[in-house]
Amino acid sequence: RARRQKPCTLRELELTVSELGLGYESDETVLLRYCSGKCTAHRHNYDITMEHMMRTGFKKKGRKDKVINGPCCRPTAFEKDFSFLDNNSRYHTIQNVSAKNCGCV
Amino acid sequence: MKSVTVWMCICISLLLLDKAASSWDGPSALSVSLASGAPGSPSTASGPGAQPEWVDCIQASDMCNQNPYCSSRYRVMRQCLVGKEKEAMLDNNRECQAALEVLLVSPLYDCRCKRGMKKELQCLQNYWTIHMGLTEGGDMEDSSPYEPVAPNRHPDAFRLASISSVSGMLTVAPKGFHCPDAERNCNPCLDAAKACNLNGSCKRQRSTYIATCSKEDPNKGETCSKKRCHKALRLFLDRVPTEFSHRLLFCPCQTEGCAERRRQTIVPDCSYKDKEKPNCLELRGICRQDPLCRSRLADYIVNCWTTPHTVSTCPNQDNHQACLASYARLIGTEITPNYVDSSFSNWTISPWCTCKGSGNQEEECLNFLRYFTDNTCLRNAIQAFGYGIDNTQNKNVSVPGPSATSKTGPDWSTGISEHPSVTIPKYPEPRDGGLDLGEDHSPCLCANVWALLPSLALALVLAQHAL
Repeated sequence: RARRQKPCTLRELELTVSELGLGYESDETVLLRYCSGKCTAHRHNYDITMEHMMRTGFKKKGRKDKVINGPCCRPTAFEKDFSFLDNNSRYHTIQNVSAKNCGCV
Repeated sequence: MKSVTVWMCICISLLLLDKAASSWDGPSALSVSLASGAPGSPSTASGPGAQPEWVDCIQASDMCNQNPYCSSRYRVMRQCLVGKEKEAMLDNNRECQAALEVLLVSPLYDCRCKRGMKKELQCLQNYWTIHMGLTEGGDMEDSSPYEPVAPNRHPDAFRLASISSVSGMLTVAPKGFHCPDAERNCNPCLDAAKACNLNGSCKRQRSTYIATCSKEDPNKGETCSKKRCHKALRLFLDRVPTEFSHRLLFCPCQTEGCAERRRQTIVPDCSYKDKEKPNCLELRGICRQDPLCRSRLADYIVNCWTTPHTVSTCPNQDNHQACLASYARLIGTEITPNYVDSSFSNWTISPWCTCKGSGNQEEECLNFLRYFTDNTCLRNAIQAFGYGIDNTQNKNVSVPGPSATSKTGPDWSTGISEHPSVTIPKYPEPRDGGLDLGEDHSPCLCANVWALLPSLALALVLAQHAL
């Protein structure tokens, strides 16, 4: 069953500012860009070792540590500040809500 | 059973009629004016190859500087305009007067500037070096230093449109302005903000001016920096296409919430309001000291004001677009205009000034204020904006869907009756696209009419059967 997994890319969604979950009430629509997808092609030796350690290594050495065993698809840069008018006629400017570039880090 | 089918047929044909009628008033008016006026009219001939009869003032000053005689007088003239006593210098100083006389026959005298050109400010400064001394007398309005605006290409479209709606035969459909839920969810200003946010450049520029205008100025404590805010607004209006910026400024409102959003567009707390309301003539005086403000004010009056008792309400054969553009270019100057409150039915536009304390100049002050508060051209242009917007927005959509037209039609026909002069379903863009649009539409119209005939005939036959 070879379901090809989509690589880490920038995706977008139209939302109202209220739907962003930041506590602002505004019906203004904004384009939210976010990062999603797999990063399997970007694993380092570190990640392979960590996966192995999680399975057996840490226990053998008497540890219970949890480690993320692979790179994550995350924004490497954010879009510039976004300003909007809320439903009470006040302007707000918010930072770092929408991704500009994505990467496996 | 038969009567049921008859009714169904009648209903269907009525629906078709409605659709056809809505497509009639716009395109047909356009095609008529095309047939009558287009071939020989001078405006169509002025293509990119046509030679303008003026040079821009940067070129003109270069030309002057190449001539030693002209350049020395030009230098003298610039000296005359430095400092506070420039009025006195121009009136009394012999050398200044002599310099002006020489420059009147130089290429600088007839030069103009392009709107939004590179080095616009420098060009305007060159222009006023000559013309500052020419327009004496406070009540005379300046002529615009900008290149003349082409007249509206399809003036007939307006008259035909208004005639057809007066006769009551055709309902004017608001094209490019759709309200799915007529009362509650309809906010064209919110739609305009959405359109801007979904466009990368508009979103960035809008966010920039909003952030600049709502930021507190560290030097002044709580208030913002009006100067920076104005500059950011000018940049936004210069760089963002008018299909976005004009939509934000002139969105057609039917609710107070919408009108409040429209009023807030330019962040009036910073760009518009001030602690005190100055006298309008005082404000005009400040504006005239600044080449940019003075030019844009002159351009606004040239494009948005006609003396009473003329056939059209706007100059250049009702060129609404030119008026709206020069209005928008006043935003970010000393005379920044705005909606005074959030009333949607009875709105007023004014700069932040009053005619109190005018003394014996009260009449002149009121006349000046009237360019904004009591301006039929500006009012019509803004009212018409909601109808004409589809020209820039949906060039590919020829006829709006039947559901949208039939639903919004009645609401809008009531709105129209309040302003009988505003019955314009669409107005062509002065620069481009107007001709092509008309040609694209006319085949559709014919097709519509022919498609209508069989269904009408069928309905008639069935009706006769039933009787």
